[in-house]
Amino acid sequence: MATKLSAIEFRDVSLAFGERVILDRVSFGVRYGESKVVMGGSGMGKSTVLRLVLGLIKPDAGRIIVDGEDITDYNEEQMMTVRRKIGMVFQEGALFDSLSVYDNVAYRLREQRVAEPEIEPVVMRMLKFVDLEDAVDKMPNELSGGMRRRVGIARALVGSPKIILYDEPTAGLDPITARTICELALKLRDLEEVSSIFVTHRLQDIEVLASEYVVRDDFGNLIFEHEGDKMCLINTKFIMLKDGNVIFSGSDEEMRNSGHPYIRKFLDHER
Amino acid sequence: MNLIVRGIIQIQEITLLIGRVLRGIFRPPLYLGEMVRQMDILGFGSLTIILLTGFFTGAVLALNTGNTLQKFGVESVAGQLVATSLIRELGPVLTALMLAGRVGSGIAAELGSMLVSEQIDAMRALGTDPIKKLVAPRIVALVTMAPALTVICDMVGVLGGLLAAITFQGQASSVYMASAKEAVTYNEILGGLIKPTVFGFLIAIIGCYKGLSTTGGTVGVGRSTTQSVVIASILIIAVDFLLSKVILSLLLEP
Repeated sequence: MATKLSAIEFRDVSLAFGERVILDRVSFGVRYGESKVVMGGSGMGKSTVLRLVLGLIKPDAGRIIVDGEDITDYNEEQMMTVRRKIGMVFQEGALFDSLSVYDNVAYRLREQRVAEPEIEPVVMRMLKFVDLEDAVDKMPNELSGGMRRRVGIARALVGSPKIILYDEPTAGLDPITARTICELALKLRDLEEVSSIFVTHRLQDIEVLASEYVVRDDFGNLIFEHEGDKMCLINTKFIMLKDGNVIFSGSDEEMRNSGHPYIRKFLDHER
Repeated sequence: MNLIVRGIIQIQEITLLIGRVLRGIFRPPLYLGEMVRQMDILGFGSLTIILLTGFFTGAVLALNTGNTLQKFGVESVAGQLVATSLIRELGPVLTALMLAGRVGSGIAAELGSMLVSEQIDAMRALGTDPIKKLVAPRIVALVTMAPALTVICDMVGVLGGLLAAITFQGQASSVYMASAKEAVTYNEILGGLIKPTVFGFLIAIIGCYKGLSTTGGTVGVGRSTTQSVVIASILIIAVDFLLSKVILSLLLEP
């Protein structure tokens, strides 16, 4: 029986493409309001995890539960309703080239046949959230890499999904833009109580996600705080994938103290 | 995997794709706007090359056959010869080959690029079925526009033949037109419309299939594009032979 405790749950999920084993009996859960940071080298099946959650691909074995629903055997039509609860931020943004920024963000609402006057305020609010109100009429090819990702985030947020999946949203960005993206993720985690899976291999992201949080002061301003030595954020957990297996699962402090040779190498190398 | 197995798998995948399109095409949402847009881009956009193709094909037919017809003293049937050749064979096939080169490749390249840049996945993640949104409108557009373009090709071809007959054979336009009219019977026209409908479907489905089965990034897009043109062209020629036989025995020489 699926518990309603987890927003996302993987139970012994296995997947192989031909001879290549991507995931081998992987199990983990993401609690409501929690951010799960999935790490691992390239080709270790990080993005595959997200595709499985969205039902874009199906596992060979095991069960996947999203928001209390076992989606493993859902067909494409049934998945469409599940996908409404999920926002996905793709690696390069995956914006539709033929549509303007406005139309990209409005896409989901138009598909749901929402009336045009209701669409505009939502689109503008989302673009304001990612600080891109000025780019509303631009085409995707006029945007920088960082802007494309932010539009991608705005598009994913339409419909206020309670689950957000990030597929290496900071890969290939400069540190400042990457931080902006991470701050957006923090805002969603701490202010909107969104559950998320954040796929990354950058230590800088891990640092920000694991040790910073955002609060709103009495005037409605956002303040980014550092957890310091006295407290410890518990709404962000980490898992490390290697050769189809979860080799680590826990908090950032536990990860830094881990003696696993691959994790040591990963942490030292990225530094 | 050897060639035969791969071929069979591809045929299976194309059949499945056709099945999904047919199932999706009658169920809402229908994306009628997208269908009209594709008709404009794929159909109306190809008008220029079809006009040129038709005109010169008709003209060269009249030119080449003129001397031979004169030898037998039957130059008065030039119009009929040009019109029959165009309606039965050259109009549908040349239009289809032109569309395969211009439109089929474009479909494969566009869908292929969308696939490798994760736009297809994004579409599914946002609750759209790409088969309905991308594949079905293109198929409907080509199935309707290919016959329309073929008719235009035939018409312009007959005019091209007329011009060549007047200029190079010194034939009277009334003789040419009267002879051409004899070729245009209902069964001829029907046969001449069945072919491009089938070809249009083939071009669209091959283009979509190749685009959506792209692997290997940007290089893969190039490969898919080339393959879509090659496969569609060969299929057009081969299916044309089979269809000609069927149309001949059912409609024209019953």
